[in-house]
Amino acid sequence: MGIIDFTDTSVTYPGGLVALKDVTLSIEKGEFVVIVGLSGAGKSTMLRAVNGLVPVSGSVVVDGREVVGASRSELRAIRADVGMIFQTFNLVNRSLVINNALMGRLSQVPRWRSFLGLWPSQDKEIALQSLERVDIVEKAYVRASDLSGGQQQRVGIARALAQEPNIILADEPVASLDPVTSHLVMRDLQRINEELGITTLINLHFLDLARQYGKRLIGLNDGRVVFDGDIADVNDDVFRGIYGRAITPDDLVDKT
Amino acid sequence: MTLLAPETQTRPVEPPRAATYLLPLFVGIAATGLIGFSGPIGPIWGTLVGLVTFGVFAWAGVTRHWIDAIILVVGGILGLSFFNGVIAARTGPIDFKLALLAAVGWAVYGAATGFVVYRHRLEYRPSIIGLQALSWGGGATIALFTATAMGVLAPLNARQISAGEIQELTIGLFVVTSLAAAAIGLGANLSFATKLISLFAGGVVLVLTVMAYNEIQFSTAAIATQLGRIGEIADDFWPPVWKWPKSLGQPDTFNIVRPFIETFQIAIVGATIGNILALPLAFYASRMTAPSNVAYRIAKGILNVVRTIPDLVWGIFFATAVGFGNPFAGALAMIMFSMSIMAKLLSETVDAIDIGPLEAGRASGASHSEVIQYAAFPQVRPNYVAYALYIFELNIRASVVIGFVGAGGIGRLLNERRNFFQWDQVMAIVIVIFVSVLLIEWLSIWARRKLV
Amino acid sequence: MTVPDLSPEEQMAQLRPKEPIGPRVTRWIVTIVVIVPFIWAVIGLEISPEKLWRAPAEIWVLLTGMFPPDFEDSGRIMAKLLESIYIAWIGTMMGAVFSFPLSFMAATNVAPRWMAIPTRAALSAIRAFPELILAIILIVPFGLGPFTGALAIGLHSIGTLGKLSSEVIEGVDEGPIEAISSAGGTLMEQMRFGIVPQAMPTIVSYWLYRFEINIRASAVLGLVGAGGIGAEIVGRLSFRADWPKAGAALLATIAVVLIVDAVSSSIRRRIITGQPSTSMLSKGMIAITGASRPPSTELET
Repeated sequence: MGIIDFTDTSVTYPGGLVALKDVTLSIEKGEFVVIVGLSGAGKSTMLRAVNGLVPVSGSVVVDGREVVGASRSELRAIRADVGMIFQTFNLVNRSLVINNALMGRLSQVPRWRSFLGLWPSQDKEIALQSLERVDIVEKAYVRASDLSGGQQQRVGIARALAQEPNIILADEPVASLDPVTSHLVMRDLQRINEELGITTLINLHFLDLARQYGKRLIGLNDGRVVFDGDIADVNDDVFRGIYGRAITPDDLVDKT
Repeated sequence: MTLLAPETQTRPVEPPRAATYLLPLFVGIAATGLIGFSGPIGPIWGTLVGLVTFGVFAWAGVTRHWIDAIILVVGGILGLSFFNGVIAARTGPIDFKLALLAAVGWAVYGAATGFVVYRHRLEYRPSIIGLQALSWGGGATIALFTATAMGVLAPLNARQISAGEIQELTIGLFVVTSLAAAAIGLGANLSFATKLISLFAGGVVLVLTVMAYNEIQFSTAAIATQLGRIGEIADDFWPPVWKWPKSLGQPDTFNIVRPFIETFQIAIVGATIGNILALPLAFYASRMTAPSNVAYRIAKGILNVVRTIPDLVWGIFFATAVGFGNPFAGALAMIMFSMSIMAKLLSETVDAIDIGPLEAGRASGASHSEVIQYAAFPQVRPNYVAYALYIFELNIRASVVIGFVGAGGIGRLLNERRNFFQWDQVMAIVIVIFVSVLLIEWLSIWARRKLV
Repeated sequence: MTVPDLSPEEQMAQLRPKEPIGPRVTRWIVTIVVIVPFIWAVIGLEISPEKLWRAPAEIWVLLTGMFPPDFEDSGRIMAKLLESIYIAWIGTMMGAVFSFPLSFMAATNVAPRWMAIPTRAALSAIRAFPELILAIILIVPFGLGPFTGALAIGLHSIGTLGKLSSEVIEGVDEGPIEAISSAGGTLMEQMRFGIVPQAMPTIVSYWLYRFEINIRASAVLGLVGAGGIGAEIVGRLSFRADWPKAGAALLATIAVVLIVDAVSSSIRRRIITGQPSTSMLSKGMIAITGASRPPSTELET
């Protein structure tokens, strides 16, 4: 039993599109897993199957709790322990950075307190600490829209950390960033994984980043797992198997 | 491809422009209207109409050839003689069959214009001839029919029509047809069937206008007359009287102040509570933030019905329920009024928000209402503030008038003075309203600019 | 490529910013600015808890009194509703026809300042008079009846439409105007080919929108004797025995307004997007007439 267990997991969207087909695999606690594949291969869907944001069938057990068929409140409880980071950051641009980070605490704070904006001091402390962990605390009282892309993604990471999660899902976290910032953000994620032992699943588009930071690699093609193994075993042939073509400079973040 | 001349093989066919056949349609309507009144003098009118059309063609650069002038004049004489023959031979009011028959004359003329266009514009297919015939004939039918509906043609036998009325009718027709042409011109790049719909819409506009014009007894003559005696009328209203006795035998006092303050209070209570109540409704009435499809439909339905009811009807309704003359009724009415406008404006704004933060909120395990409060509302907060100010401004205006139905405020005073025919006192109240409405509007615009 | 990494000690050494005081002060000021006048108004209007407590029951009495509605004299109701529609229509027409030139005169990118500023002021002065007040004044010269109502609505519409349209004209892309003037186009040609094609769809949709609003406005003008359904509703609400008839009039008004709104908004959407709307109504229209896409694709084959 890992921390996440997929058993015959499929995802079928309301329009009839089957984005994930019979995936069975297990992810152990503290792993740093990179998922690669062409766009449309089901990477984002696989991540969203973990916290039930997509219609899942089969079985997904997260930290001992079943996602498929979970009630609304059960699903909320699962999601509260799973932080998520997005390609487009998904910050509330008009809100202050601290308020964005505090959104990660919503599931832990009584409704009347969050309604009035009277955050308990220990929750504020957690939010500030998560901002410190990604080195952005000096911007705590700045509007999120006033930050650069890299800074915004750090706030996104801080929001996920503020949940004090067991698992972090990162959906293409660097796809909207330039190469230098991409490395910074990947380092942050790697460090969080190492220091806090948070199980981390990352979708990546760039192969060199996957190779540089990943430990375990899952390759998806057309909704199926076509590779699952140690990053050290990955060579160009494996990539060709996942992508169905040779590697081009477009697949690399450092195009040299 | 074989239909096209060799030199145009690579060019696409220019789609017929609405104006090409609609212009004659409206000329036809106007001319039929005029001729319908002036008796059977077909050949003369036919010549004139033909020459006018030739003039339009020459101006538009279609043709300046004398043969075309002859074609048009001959077509005009033939068509209009037929038309006038049918009209002159009628015994009763014009019914649809007769209108159609008479319109055949115009259709003949339309065909002549279509032929001229076809001769000179290679990009048009022969169907332009039929198209023109159709539009001229259709225009004439519509014209005859509306004229009959207005009671202008039929009562030629029954009722005397003044020259003023005919003039008004003609002016009205011209105004309306040009409006319709503008509206139809918008559809110029669309398919033929779509244009037919536009044509139909133009007809509806025309008929509705003529009927409405007639039904409410619109009269430009009355406007002209009354404008002439504006001095007399002004004497009733001017100078404004600011003080009058509250009841008989009492000294003159400023009686405007108290109801004026009351109006403000009604507006404040209405805007504050209405804007707060609108919040949940607005988020439920947007697909982005509705918790479920059922909730969305219900919220949207409530919103639509509440919005349908005018502010004054709310005023009447609550005044009847909680007692006439009670400003509480006014406040209740303003709550409904503010709520409906805010909910509509805000829900449309919410439709356009970034959905990303909502997903992030859901992914963190937040409940639906928490997601709305922390991920959706901050995105629309500046709009909410701006709308709230705007609604306060509207409320001042609206609470002025709901007093008329017994919902308190300055409107009640205005109604009372009006019923006593104290026009100079009415003027004083109107000035107060006018100035305060303008001031509030400027203030609100200034504040909105500051805030956003 | 090397990226400097912060050690945990360095992180702790980071200075946390103090929570700024500004937003807090603003929040308090806003709260006070909203709450104090509200309390003042509530006291002034003598809204007591007892009144609030009674209100729902009283509203319920009225609601149940109106239902089931009595459609006995529906003929009269329909006639009055139709009159309201006529008033709104003529008022909108007046507004459209007269506001169109005025809106060009009030647009600062077309008209010179000496013309735009007074035109604007005039439009905003017209707007400051609610329709009902205009109607009261106009009744003196024009007497009771729908004609007065139409004039009042028309005048007010000129003010509102003039303002909205001039804002549309000011918002058009300046590029085409510049292109026409650089090609030697006159001011008239700049307006005809540079502004009208850009602004017209929005302006026409405002006309339709105004018609929707005018229907509501004309429904209440009857209160002052200016025609329409309003007088029917008020008259019937004043006698308890007539409440079911008032309910019928109210229901009919709501139905008509809803229908007009639906038709008008589907046309507006069509005008703005240039596409058939997806509403049931337009689907029905397409099914009946067989209207489809423009024929441009036919030429490619």
